[in-house]
Amino acid sequence: MTDVPPTPRRGRRVLAAAAGLGVLGLPLTSPSPQPSPSAASDRGTQLYQQSCASCHGQQGEGSQRGPALTGVGPADVDFQLSTGRMPLRTEHRVQEHREPVFSESDIRALVQHVASFPPGGGPPIPTVGGGHTRSGRELYLTYCSACHSAAGVGATLTNGRFAPSLFQATPTQIGEAVRVGPGLMPAFPSGVLTDAQVDDIAAYVDVLQNDRGDLDRGGWSLGRLGPFPEGAVAWVLGLGVLLLLARRLGSRAR
Amino acid sequence: MITRRLYRALDARLGTTSAGRTALAKVFPDHWTFMFGEVAVYAFLALLLTGTYLTLFFEPSTAETVYDGAYQPLDGSTVSSAFASTVALSFDVRAGLLMRQAHHWAALLFVAAIVVHLLRVFFTGAFRRPRELNWVVGVTMLALALLNGFTGYSMPDDLLSGTGLRIIYSTVLSVPVVGSWIAMLAFGGEFPSDETTPRLYISHVLIVPAVFLALISLHLVMIIRQKHSQFPGPGRREHNVVGSRLWPAYAVRSLSLLTGVLAAVFALGGLVQINPVWIYGPFHPAQATSPAQPDWYVAWGDGALRLFPPIEVHVAGHLIPAPFFPAVGLGTVTFLLLYAWPWLERWRTGDKASHQILERPRDRPGRVAAGAYALTFFAVLLVAAADDIIARLSGIPVLGILRTLQILLLVLPFAVAAVAFLVARSLRAGTATTVGELTRADLHAGMTGPAASPGDTDHPAERIRLWRNPDDTWRWRWHGPGADLASNEVFLDREGALDAARTAYPGVPVEQDEPPEGVVLPPPRREPGPATKVAAALVWVAMAVLGRRADRRQPSRSEASK
Repeated sequence: MTDVPPTPRRGRRVLAAAAGLGVLGLPLTSPSPQPSPSAASDRGTQLYQQSCASCHGQQGEGSQRGPALTGVGPADVDFQLSTGRMPLRTEHRVQEHREPVFSESDIRALVQHVASFPPGGGPPIPTVGGGHTRSGRELYLTYCSACHSAAGVGATLTNGRFAPSLFQATPTQIGEAVRVGPGLMPAFPSGVLTDAQVDDIAAYVDVLQNDRGDLDRGGWSLGRLGPFPEGAVAWVLGLGVLLLLARRLGSRAR
Repeated sequence: MITRRLYRALDARLGTTSAGRTALAKVFPDHWTFMFGEVAVYAFLALLLTGTYLTLFFEPSTAETVYDGAYQPLDGSTVSSAFASTVALSFDVRAGLLMRQAHHWAALLFVAAIVVHLLRVFFTGAFRRPRELNWVVGVTMLALALLNGFTGYSMPDDLLSGTGLRIIYSTVLSVPVVGSWIAMLAFGGEFPSDETTPRLYISHVLIVPAVFLALISLHLVMIIRQKHSQFPGPGRREHNVVGSRLWPAYAVRSLSLLTGVLAAVFALGGLVQINPVWIYGPFHPAQATSPAQPDWYVAWGDGALRLFPPIEVHVAGHLIPAPFFPAVGLGTVTFLLLYAWPWLERWRTGDKASHQILERPRDRPGRVAAGAYALTFFAVLLVAAADDIIARLSGIPVLGILRTLQILLLVLPFAVAAVAFLVARSLRAGTATTVGELTRADLHAGMTGPAASPGDTDHPAERIRLWRNPDDTWRWRWHGPGADLASNEVFLDREGALDAARTAYPGVPVEQDEPPEGVVLPPPRREPGPATKVAAALVWVAMAVLGRRADRRQPSRSEASK
């Protein structure tokens, strides 16, 4: 996924603006449901035309503004939509995890619609759950912590990109990201990480995010950013208070 | 009753009463800035207390063991004993996590207090003669504090500190010619070596603290011997100390400072998480975590490594790799400059006199500028160690931040030093007591004032007047604010008088003028000529010979009475 699209051609700019407005206007994102026999596929087509086609093309063939969606697989589409990365709201910070624009059923419809583009294929949406935290911890530190940090807070990469924090990721999204490799992340096919291992990693990420009360036993976690905020606290809260105390104690001396 | 008798018995043998009375009556000046060093001492005490608790449970070894405890994601994992026992301290030992965190916070506060204390000593000129030795001891303690902080941080064998240890190892390797030998010697083999953790441990808990205790004692003994310096003020002179007695006033204040330090250390230790090694995981050479910084007091070295461009130099066929300059080079230069500062300043000002009265920072704009330069320089480096975090928070690409910091490192210290210099000169020139009271006129006076030469800077209101008497002898007198002292000695030449005046009042400008009216002149001391010296020697010899002969001739009375 490249996140810096080239400048659009003049004819498309109007379309893009319209699509952007449609995305930003919340009423447009949940239009009134129209009952029909093949509601889901119709809904998927309609949503795709409204919010995706202007960049990814009518049949997912891609354009200058967006990559092709042919053969990316359901996992990729579901990941991009459920983490709110797509549809694009701004042209930068595409790697940020946001509230999804579409409802769950709409996302399902869109995934189905994109999967209908030839040739199909690509990684399916994985089913993740029930892993072991111990092996998950070892796998996480081997495969994930270099970019997402051992604490799961994410880290800076090159060219203004960064690996996001994992505190909002659901187990399914973790599985999807592992298989698909969004952004700068490499994809790990099942030959590298088995489904059971992905389950374990997701279980450990759950420790990192949900058991935060248990995990941060020491108290205020300072964002788990390590020694830099710790030093700031030592200087401002620790030594600052002590210097004020010394100032008070010496106040009677001239 | 019993205690009284016991005390009497003790006093009769040791003379404790008189010694104790002297000690309790000792006077310390009570300016609040003189307490920074005390904060460091009390933080060190907190380190000793909490550290002792930690040694009861920590296992300094990289031997593999199976962690079996309350932390689920590690339960049953095979990790090094050092890491397993640190996690056990955090999850399974009662009060272990409180002690670990209090220890770490105390370490951060300890070095911070040392730095603030150093700044106080630096900016007030407390390192001048006779206190240069104590400055050297203090700088040594700062270096040891950095070393011990780093070894302590590296001991748990976790992923974050292992990264730092690897960087230090590479830094040692970067020393030309001998680097690999030193690294092998110090770390006990190729990284990661099983020898390293035990060595870190023994230096962290035994060697360095022992040296520390000796140096702190030396530091304090020297203060007691030399008396504490004091700020200028009414009734404060070079040969007295104005302040509070050790008992009760000073002791009570010091005790409240001790409780304050302990309260801060344990409040932080109980409420704010620090170095959660169970999250970082055990060290493994193939793994990494990011963002990764060292503790703040070595972060300037990390920042320098990040900012330094990849320049490699070949000297006589030997490669000097890029990391050598920002790590080994900068560290060495920093501490050499710190050690040499008292002598550098003396060489610059020619001030060889012994001082008990401190200067205000504004009295020495040049020194203020040097300090401001150094502080800004290291602050930029400190921030550079967190470039990735700043990039993350600001959304600016990390390379742009690096470039910005590289430029700032070259420019900002000069700018801050210039501003500090100007402010100090304006404060000295004007009537303002604080920076907030500075007026435009003060700033103007600071900018257009006389060029600061080392002679005129420190005693603007004092003058030495030198004159020649009618009989070609020389004398001098000192004019201060509301006082006038004539030298009690007469000199045969101008140089002698000048030397004497400069020894007595270093840095005070000298001018020559007419002999004053009504000054009674003692006769000058003239050096005896060579003939006189020979005659004197002959007289001494003659007297000695005569005396011995007289002894032989007269038998002593005891013999006569036999």
